[in-house]
Amino acid sequence: MKGFRIPPISLLICCFIVFASLIGSVLGQLPDCAQVEGWSQDGPLRAYEPDNLFDYMNGNAEGYLIYGFQKMQGITCKCGEDTIVIDISEMADPEYAYGMFLANRDSRQPTQDIGMGGQILERKATFAKDRYYVELAANPAKDHRASLEKYVALIEKSIAGRSEPPAVINFFPTARLVSDSVRLVPQSVLGLRILKSGYTAQYDFGKAFLVREASPESAVNVMTRLKERLGQTAELQIGDEGFKGTDKYLDGLWVFRKGAWIAGFANLKDETDIAALAKEFAERIE
Amino acid sequence: MSKGSSRRTFLTTGLAAVPTAAITSRINPAFSQTASAQPAGLQYRVLGRTGLKVTTVGFGCMITSDPAVIQKAADLGINYFDTARGYQGGNNEKMVGAALKAKRKSIVLSSKTPSGTKEGALADLDESLRQLQTDYLDIWYLHGRSKAEEISDGFLEAQRIAKKAGKIRFSGVSTHSGMAEVIRTMIAKKADLDVVLTSYNFSMDPSIEESIESAAKAGLGVVAMKVMAGGFRRVREGDKLRETLSREGAMLAALKWVIRNENIHTTIPSITDMEQLEENMRAMTLPFDESDKQLLASQLDLIGPLYCRSCGQCRDSCAKGLPVSDILRYLSYAEGYGQFRLAREEYLRLPQEILQQRCALCPECTVNCPKGVHVAERLRVAQEMLA
Repeated sequence: MKGFRIPPISLLICCFIVFASLIGSVLGQLPDCAQVEGWSQDGPLRAYEPDNLFDYMNGNAEGYLIYGFQKMQGITCKCGEDTIVIDISEMADPEYAYGMFLANRDSRQPTQDIGMGGQILERKATFAKDRYYVELAANPAKDHRASLEKYVALIEKSIAGRSEPPAVINFFPTARLVSDSVRLVPQSVLGLRILKSGYTAQYDFGKAFLVREASPESAVNVMTRLKERLGQTAELQIGDEGFKGTDKYLDGLWVFRKGAWIAGFANLKDETDIAALAKEFAERIE
Repeated sequence: MSKGSSRRTFLTTGLAAVPTAAITSRINPAFSQTASAQPAGLQYRVLGRTGLKVTTVGFGCMITSDPAVIQKAADLGINYFDTARGYQGGNNEKMVGAALKAKRKSIVLSSKTPSGTKEGALADLDESLRQLQTDYLDIWYLHGRSKAEEISDGFLEAQRIAKKAGKIRFSGVSTHSGMAEVIRTMIAKKADLDVVLTSYNFSMDPSIEESIESAAKAGLGVVAMKVMAGGFRRVREGDKLRETLSREGAMLAALKWVIRNENIHTTIPSITDMEQLEENMRAMTLPFDESDKQLLASQLDLIGPLYCRSCGQCRDSCAKGLPVSDILRYLSYAEGYGQFRLAREEYLRLPQEILQQRCALCPECTVNCPKGVHVAERLRVAQEMLA
């Protein structure tokens, strides 16, 4: 068999690509501060894991750990008196990264199409892309949006992977939904341990929730326990099974199961006109 | 309590103190008069010189997702609630404010600012009040300080202005590490600062008791946080040991252990669901007993091979001359108390010839710890983590 000979120039290109990818893996998704004109790096790079995240942010670390925090890398950039602290957290999966963004975004401000979702404010920018949650904090107090936008663009480009929000958030019906109110609850949805983790969304009449169990069988089991806990006041013909219940702190509840999904509405003080919405909710769940 | 006391002794001392707490209380008698179990299953103490009467179990709202849990806690009688400007990008204050709006006058509400400048802190305070839907905070903390110089003049001035304006009633400092130094500084500045929020749990170095006692004696209100975290932070999610540590009753035992110290006026365990709330409530009525001691002791046994008791018996026993107990202590700074920077700084101060040693290259470890610490393994971890 005739041997295949790599031309010297191709070899050089291959070496360059390997070298560049190695450098890339060392620096990860962090930008080079100097990529934005006038800015330079201030101090060393930072790296944290679950064991020492407390050292960086004290009690705030708990808020990261419950969203499956894996590790963080950070850099501080400066331009004269201005500084931008950039932290990129790797979470357990894209859903957790997006959940972290949802939990920390300013719900009074609009979100933007950055990665799966993002926000650039005067002194702060956040976004989630793939399994990364990115935060930039600028000082001193003034409008830093121009610089933040440049760094956000650089970082977003350096992160490969998913840019679409989890499909599950589209399961919530849009009518009467309070905008930007969907949240990932990493522990105890509605404050009930039995609902381990899931999503909630605020409506003008109460709160919707959505939990996925491991299997339809385990969802049936959870429904049984929920009925015991909440007390079934009426049956609901929604999804595979459903019931109405009450709780002193969650008010009226509509709960239904569709396959492995458990969903419904809580904090219902007025139950009129939500039957159609509940049916639509069940239909949207895939 | 001497600094040489072991954690087990620390734990046992806690147990021994329980039946005689009323007689041998180490706290200022003026405060102990107010500590009493209430018929409704609530236990109150006075938060130092603030005079605020608080339940010994409070509520750390940081990772709570649903306001229903907070509302239920307030209805059940818990009256101390803690949040911070920085939690969940400010969204936590918003949720807490909505949950407690109807109960504002009957509860003690605290929040925190990370800002050490007067302007920054006061701006944070105004935003906290807006989000919490209240005109005032009962306690306003400077968030997460571990050194004397971090208790800034800017914050001290800000809290004076805020008190004068009626925006806060009392002020304090929260500290996760360097507690002794922070407390000493706060005592020295007693004209300004009223409450310390400090990490405190059964797995910590016994010397923390002295600092807490001195704070209480000086009239500071003492609020404990991370009442269980010391037991968990050492173990990663998914580790089998974590399941053991989080088994039923462990959290309650750890909380009871904290409350058995009457120098602790209230606690702020994180609470995410109704079940956890109900379990925590029981800490106010159930004594810290033999079964709790065994439960916590078993946890110490589990983490025992990891932690040096500083008995000094390994001195000069390393063939390569490593100061074993010092290195293990630095490791505990990082793993046990979250002070990674301090651990690395201390470690890197060791002589170069020590820093160049690698336990992995030694065929056999000559150090035999009488307490069962896996020395060679732990030193390897320290060399990988801190070098």
